[in-house]
Amino acid sequence: MPILLCRIDDRLIHGQVVIGWGRPLGLQRIVLVDDIVAANDWEQDLYRVAVPEEIELIFATVRGASDRLAEWAGDPKRTAILTGEVHTMGQLVAADTSNLRQINLGGLHQRPGRTERLPWVYLSDEELAELRVMAQSGREISAQDVPTTAAVSLEALA
Amino acid sequence: MIGGAELWLLLAWGTIVAVDLVSMPQVLLARPLVAAAVAGAIAGDVGAGLAVGLLLELFALDVLPVGASRYPDYGPGTVGAVLVVAHQPSPLVWMGAAAGLALVVALSGAASMQWLRHRIARDVQAHADQLGAGDGAAIRMLHLTSIGRDAVRGLALTVVALLLALLLRETGPLDDLTGTLLSVVAGGAGLAAVVRGAVRNAGRGARFRWLAAGAGAGVLLSVFL
Amino acid sequence: MKATRSAWWRLFSLQGSWNYDRMVGVGMGFAAKPLLEDLRRESPERHAEAVARSAEFFNSHPYLAGLALGAVTRAEYDQVPGDQILRLRNALCSPLGALGDQLFWAGLLPAAIGAALAAVALGAGWPVVLLAVVLFTVVRCYVSDWALRRGLETGMGVGRAIKDSRLRRAITLAGIGASLLVGVAIPLVATRLAVGLATPHIALMLLVAVAGLVLGKLAGTRYSSPRFALAALAVVLLARWIAT
Repeated sequence: MPILLCRIDDRLIHGQVVIGWGRPLGLQRIVLVDDIVAANDWEQDLYRVAVPEEIELIFATVRGASDRLAEWAGDPKRTAILTGEVHTMGQLVAADTSNLRQINLGGLHQRPGRTERLPWVYLSDEELAELRVMAQSGREISAQDVPTTAAVSLEALA
Repeated sequence: MIGGAELWLLLAWGTIVAVDLVSMPQVLLARPLVAAAVAGAIAGDVGAGLAVGLLLELFALDVLPVGASRYPDYGPGTVGAVLVVAHQPSPLVWMGAAAGLALVVALSGAASMQWLRHRIARDVQAHADQLGAGDGAAIRMLHLTSIGRDAVRGLALTVVALLLALLLRETGPLDDLTGTLLSVVAGGAGLAAVVRGAVRNAGRGARFRWLAAGAGAGVLLSVFL
Repeated sequence: MKATRSAWWRLFSLQGSWNYDRMVGVGMGFAAKPLLEDLRRESPERHAEAVARSAEFFNSHPYLAGLALGAVTRAEYDQVPGDQILRLRNALCSPLGALGDQLFWAGLLPAAIGAALAAVALGAGWPVVLLAVVLFTVVRCYVSDWALRRGLETGMGVGRAIKDSRLRRAITLAGIGASLLVGVAIPLVATRLAVGLATPHIALMLLVAVAGLVLGKLAGTRYSSPRFALAALAVVLLARWIAT
């Protein structure tokens, strides 16, 4: 089963992910790629409890996830990949040949250096450049918080 | 009939349900079924209220208020829709037009909420220093002012909804056949909305089977009752 | 005790200052105020810091926010370093949002409304609507009261308390209830809408419903239910205007 959702969202696992996308896509597995969370037990406990019983949750480092992308894409579980930072996704994409085709910007909030692109998407110039690099490698990139709203393309965000 | 006192009460009720949706107290008053039932009681026609609530709730069940995503604000429009249908000799002629009014107001309501959230963000940024210094009075002032702003937003939406409703009561939907067809089409669109939402929100696993089982039971109940 | 009650009431307005800058942060600060009063007597500086932290960025489900409010308050009294408190506060946002969205917005809310819809479609009057509101609110009050007290008891250990709670089990059941009851309601409401209609009108209603579902499949996110309804209403008006 190809990877169904590949999302950058600084809130990581929340309602939009487990209900908004999780239910219509019928997700069975969420891979949370974040080096800090992967090394932090109490944060993992919190995220684990937020995921419904029918979804398996895997915590991975960028390296670990890069090694296993093809494996996840190859087995029958309906999978989503989640990162909290644009750069993390950039690293995954750089290590990946064809498993991550569409990148979803789900929510990146205000932070020094970032400017508002949508009320719920703030990007710095570096992040925008990194997204452009991903787009040039053939990935389709758009911002869309939940499936019921219209997607906004990367060009429209710039 | 609907007099001045009833209109003022409807105005107050529309404002309350608009504030209930996000600000407070968030106790389902903003749901069309609830907003309409009470509006019907105020207008002296509970039956019309329940009928309007039943129809509009189909749309409201489509998109759940998940996360910070944007959703229509059905409350004030529902109150307006009840005013359209209340005490009409043949409600069926008016239901579709009333639903149209409610949907237009609901979509404007969503836009007004976006605006409000930006407006409050500017207020918060303007007081960032006081917040950073732990100024409790500034927190209190910002919070209460914001609720006040939401109330003004709700009041404005309700005024628009009620004026449109009074206008609609004067002009009517062309003729009886047109009115009936509008109601029929609104009902069909509502059914599409609720089915779409139910399937999306159930997903693919066990919940979908429960949904199907429920629908089966509903069909049986419809046939035998 | 009085402070806890006061904070619990204030949490009803948690989202009153919802905004794109701090989301419900200011609302959290408003609710935290009575809880932090005793800290002022212990140390005014510490109190000011705690108040400032209480209004930082925050977002979660409004009915479960008490877990975070309670835990952070307890941590402030326990003299936990500020950066750790903020880290806990931020880490709680998404999980509490996910839990509350599943339990209430996608669970108990559609369950309560679905049951009320089904009853009204079968001819029940307004008391059934009132009953749905009251039952939902009773559960909400019970949960939000539990949340605030549990948060205050556990402080930095709130994650463990959430993990050991019955929330996940409740979510599974609420999800089943929502699907089942909305499922029951749909055919009943459809039947109710058809009352008093001539057969061709019933056929038209079903046709519009099917058209909406098909269009929804085809048009993706450009489709929204209110927009489809308004377009369909406009088509009727246009057709009737041409015909007369």
